[in-house]
Amino acid sequence: MVVNSVRFLLFFIVVFTVYYLPVSKKHPRFQNLWLLLSSYFFYGVADWTMVPLLIGATLVFYGLGAWLKSEMRKQHHKNASRLTTFGVCLGIGLLLYFKYLNFFAESFAELLSSIGLKATWTTLNIVLPIGVSFFTFKLISYIIEIHREHIEPSKDFVEFATYIAFFPALLSGPIDRPNTFIPQLRRSHSLDYDQAVDGCRQILWGMFTKICIADHLAILTDIIWADYGSQSGSTLLIWTLLYTMQIYTDFDGYSNMAIGVGKILGFNITRNFNHPLLARNIAEFWRNWHISLTSWITDYVFMPLNIAFRNLANWGVMLAVVINIVLIGLWHGANWTFGLFGLYHAMLYVPLVLSGSFGKNKKLRPNDYGLPKLEDFWKMLANFFFVSLGFIIFHAESITDAFRFFSGILSTSLFTMPSLPLKKATMVFILIVLILEWTTRKKEHPLQFSTDGIFKYSAVRYLVYSVISLMLFLFAGEVETFIYFQF
Amino acid sequence: MERQEIFEKLNEIFTDVLDLDECNLTDETSANDIEEWDSLSHIQLIVAIEKAFKIKFTSLEIMKWNNVGEMVDSMMEKL
Repeated sequence: MVVNSVRFLLFFIVVFTVYYLPVSKKHPRFQNLWLLLSSYFFYGVADWTMVPLLIGATLVFYGLGAWLKSEMRKQHHKNASRLTTFGVCLGIGLLLYFKYLNFFAESFAELLSSIGLKATWTTLNIVLPIGVSFFTFKLISYIIEIHREHIEPSKDFVEFATYIAFFPALLSGPIDRPNTFIPQLRRSHSLDYDQAVDGCRQILWGMFTKICIADHLAILTDIIWADYGSQSGSTLLIWTLLYTMQIYTDFDGYSNMAIGVGKILGFNITRNFNHPLLARNIAEFWRNWHISLTSWITDYVFMPLNIAFRNLANWGVMLAVVINIVLIGLWHGANWTFGLFGLYHAMLYVPLVLSGSFGKNKKLRPNDYGLPKLEDFWKMLANFFFVSLGFIIFHAESITDAFRFFSGILSTSLFTMPSLPLKKATMVFILIVLILEWTTRKKEHPLQFSTDGIFKYSAVRYLVYSVISLMLFLFAGEVETFIYFQF
Repeated sequence: MERQEIFEKLNEIFTDVLDLDECNLTDETSANDIEEWDSLSHIQLIVAIEKAFKIKFTSLEIMKWNNVGEMVDSMMEKL
């Protein structure tokens, strides 16, 4: 069920009504149970054969967490480490099995045949269960945080299961940590009007970027990619920039909708995007793009590696960065292109590691006219350009495919006029998003109106809502599923 | 080694590694309190501390610390 659909609206109305009944609000455990059942129903609609997997994995990790804590209390540190390793391997194993088994087996078979050994592998009919990449990460996070003594294991299975299966974020994230999410399940929720309104505005904005921009760019980019061999270099270059906008508006749109729904239910789901187009270097970019994934891998892969390699100075840091970012790439799917995508980004980190500025978080200050400083602006453009090139590799079906596309750009036709079926309206919408990216950079989303200024008048706010809704109505084509559903 | 002594030496190390003008660490100080203390300098600090005090931390210990106080507790166990 996609959030921007009538089916979801009906589902949500039922969930909301029962959730906020006067009797429900007094019993947080009932509210959690209701959310849990709704989440399993939601998951079942997407793929009912996988509900047992979700429930089973949740049960196993719940037990594992309790066992781990009891070993830690008894000071059995070796056992505790072994259990933690087991939990991590189990979670990764699930992911590897569903996502990568065919890939490894086929690659291995190819390797064998390239040295003359015959091997066949009948691709197993393993369907990637939707959401697996996301909920396995929550399960692993739970075990690690217990081991690091940052949380206590949950004493209530329903509470834990609701954290894992929470439907707004179940299918495509954001990936919440137990440290910040589980405490929110421990209190009852009454309707917080301001939070709910903020949530609705966030959903509206998410729908706008998804439906009015991403969905339209998707059609365009598919058409051009299908025939990229006969397109001019300039067209392919523009494709590259538009494809980045497509991924951003699509995934940011989805994330905003998920977070907005969470807010209506009284939850603060973690952020996924923080104006990544304003990033001035690749480190800043990854701190603000798909934040919940990057920070997960940073905390659980990068930091331990960085600590382990700490006596190798810059080489240690670079190695940790390479492993980190290649894993981020490979998380997206079973293809060498995703690994290459990671390596490409790792290369972009080299100047930062060498200059020592890679961990630095320099504040973004405007110039006297409220605009970005010129040096910052050039950096933003350059970063956007390099990131966009990386997305060619991300989109390609094979490494040769990616190289063909690159050579398509680097031809004399690069200096001809591009020709793309880009609608004027889409262009205007993209421009609006780019401008708002800067002007509303301190806000979570552009529709978080401040209480002073023009938006304190409800007439103005309602005008904005009406215009956006009209655009949604006019531009809603076929419902395109989120790019990130395939992960 | 006395806790106070450790803090004095740590102040020196932090000032040196993070290039600060001065430093007054307390039990509650964490990376959130010092702007120059980021993920990269965190590792540089640990390397410098291990060298200065001639001790070795385990990875798990390092990841458990929430503030300087907890780090000093780990150090006291080894000194």
